[in-house]
Amino acid sequence: VKSSGFYRHEMKLASLLLVLGIALAIAAPRFFSSVNLALLARSMGVLLIVSVGMLNVILSGGIDVSAGAILAVVSVVLVRLGNHGLPASTVLPLGLLTGAALGAVNAALIAELRIPPIVATLGTAGLFRGLLLEWTQGEWESSIPAWLNAVGSPRWGGLDASVLAAALLMLAAACVLHRTQIGRSLFRFGDSPVAAARTGISPRQPIYLAYVSLGMLTAIGAVFYAAQLGAVQGNAANGYELTVIAAVVLGGADILGGRGSLLGTFLGVLLLCSLEQALVLLHVATFWQNIATGAIVLLGVILSATARLHRTLPLQQSLSA
Amino acid sequence: MNSSSSATLDKFGHSTPKFNKRMMGLRQSGNLQPSVVVLLVLFFCIYAGYRSGDFWSALNWQLLAQPLAEAGLVSLGMMFVIASGGIDLSAGAIIGVAAVTAGIAAHHNLPVPAIEAAALAAGLLCGAFNGILIGVFRLSSILVTLGSMILVSGIALAISDGNSFAGFPDGLLWWNDAALLGIPLEFLLFLATAAVAAVLLRYTLWGHYVIAVGSNRVAARYSGYPVALTLFGVYALQGLLCGMTGILLVARLASARADVGQGLMLMAIAAVVLGGAPITGGSASVIATLAGVAAFYVVQDGLLLLDVSPFVQHALTSVLLLVAVAVGNLLRGNRR
Repeated sequence: VKSSGFYRHEMKLASLLLVLGIALAIAAPRFFSSVNLALLARSMGVLLIVSVGMLNVILSGGIDVSAGAILAVVSVVLVRLGNHGLPASTVLPLGLLTGAALGAVNAALIAELRIPPIVATLGTAGLFRGLLLEWTQGEWESSIPAWLNAVGSPRWGGLDASVLAAALLMLAAACVLHRTQIGRSLFRFGDSPVAAARTGISPRQPIYLAYVSLGMLTAIGAVFYAAQLGAVQGNAANGYELTVIAAVVLGGADILGGRGSLLGTFLGVLLLCSLEQALVLLHVATFWQNIATGAIVLLGVILSATARLHRTLPLQQSLSA
Repeated sequence: MNSSSSATLDKFGHSTPKFNKRMMGLRQSGNLQPSVVVLLVLFFCIYAGYRSGDFWSALNWQLLAQPLAEAGLVSLGMMFVIASGGIDLSAGAIIGVAAVTAGIAAHHNLPVPAIEAAALAAGLLCGAFNGILIGVFRLSSILVTLGSMILVSGIALAISDGNSFAGFPDGLLWWNDAALLGIPLEFLLFLATAAVAAVLLRYTLWGHYVIAVGSNRVAARYSGYPVALTLFGVYALQGLLCGMTGILLVARLASARADVGQGLMLMAIAAVVLGGAPITGGSASVIATLAGVAAFYVVQDGLLLLDVSPFVQHALTSVLLLVAVAVGNLLRGNRR
């Protein structure tokens, strides 16, 4: 499955980061202060956790535009139940279960009813968000329980629990994706569902694995999202899924499925977050950040497309189309 | 564009109009989903009319027609994009940039035609940018438009400084007020555009190319079809239609902001899919797209009159999309 130049895209990303780093060292040396690096790490935590889930979905050849809605639902569930006085030991499993259930709804629509992933998750995004807003009536949950606050507060030299969780989850995802049969089946299935079925891989299992894992990882991300913000609302994380998809794609994952790496996703998140942080440090207005982010995403797309040109001959393209 | 394309085909000596028509007929015969949607919506209309006396009033339909026309224009563009096997996530952002451009032009006291031309040009430019990256450089449409969505919305915010514009000349606001026989002009413009789109799709070489490229891009390329030019046209047209939508939105709201098109992009994709077009491309029908857009707005309006909360409306229209696609799949006997 892997070609010899598998990490070629990651090398390009790394050199892009190096260029950015050198530019920053000259323009804003403050970027490399320990305080700022800790801030950068904190801002990466949630995005990295959700991106790992999205990588699973994109590897399976799908896409999920309901991730932002799931993040909002779970964070409101966590905060509401917590504010009702339920202990963390009850609330956290319930939140994880909610995320898994919403992911399973997506997977069922795609695997059982054969609705294309983008249509199915477009529908569920509206459904989840609508029901959540009806439940909260658009009101803010402006206080969060003390235990959740403790999760989000910085310790260990400015780092918080989200950084540790992101690191552990990356390790776990690496083990599952590369060292287990079901993880490897995700690559095969995404590359060609038909070929995967011929080799005995279930046509449903990888879909459930991808979307339920995204739901659960989004739920874990929601814990830190709510903890870091200190207040949540039904409209939280609107459009977050597009940032997540942009990070994964920037990391070199093939939107058609079957190709992508955790290292690339990490570098994609790192690039997006450090760009944002750098522009803040340079006192650039917010909308210029959008322009820079958009340009960087397009650059990433062009970079990964040039890699694909080397890999696939026209005849092969016609066979796979 | 058409003259250059027809030359390509003449070389191979196809009798194109006949072939075109036969192929389109075949592609559409199996699509029952628009009928399902229309039937569902008719039942809903009868129920809503029974429960609320205002539902069948002329005023209700007049108020409904304007937002429907705006969403309809984007949906027509999106129909071509999806038929060509792509998707356009940047439509909402392009509408925003067109609206803001109109705002800046009005701010400089330009005459009304110049304001409209500036907005259309802004839309066309953004669409052409997408078209070059997707058609000529063969990049993936979802990725390119994801990037250009972020980029273009940033540009819209930057050139407007995040402000909203007001004080448009009456000549522009006329688009909102004018009506013919009680039908809002916006809606008539939309119907006229839909007729043009139908002609483009069914009776021009370009329409044939769009379907062919969407069915199998590699086969289209090996058949000597101008794939790059076709795709460029698709995205440029979508940009132009987004520019039109931007002008109509500005006229109706009497203000322009960078985020004015938010939500219309997903709405347009959902409307096209609700009409039964496969998201993988290779098939399109203007009537089905009209049915899809109308279904969304009629149901939303009916729910509003039935005093359903806006949040539940949002959820229920999403369920309508899922149910329609699932039922359409079952009717088509969609096996792997």
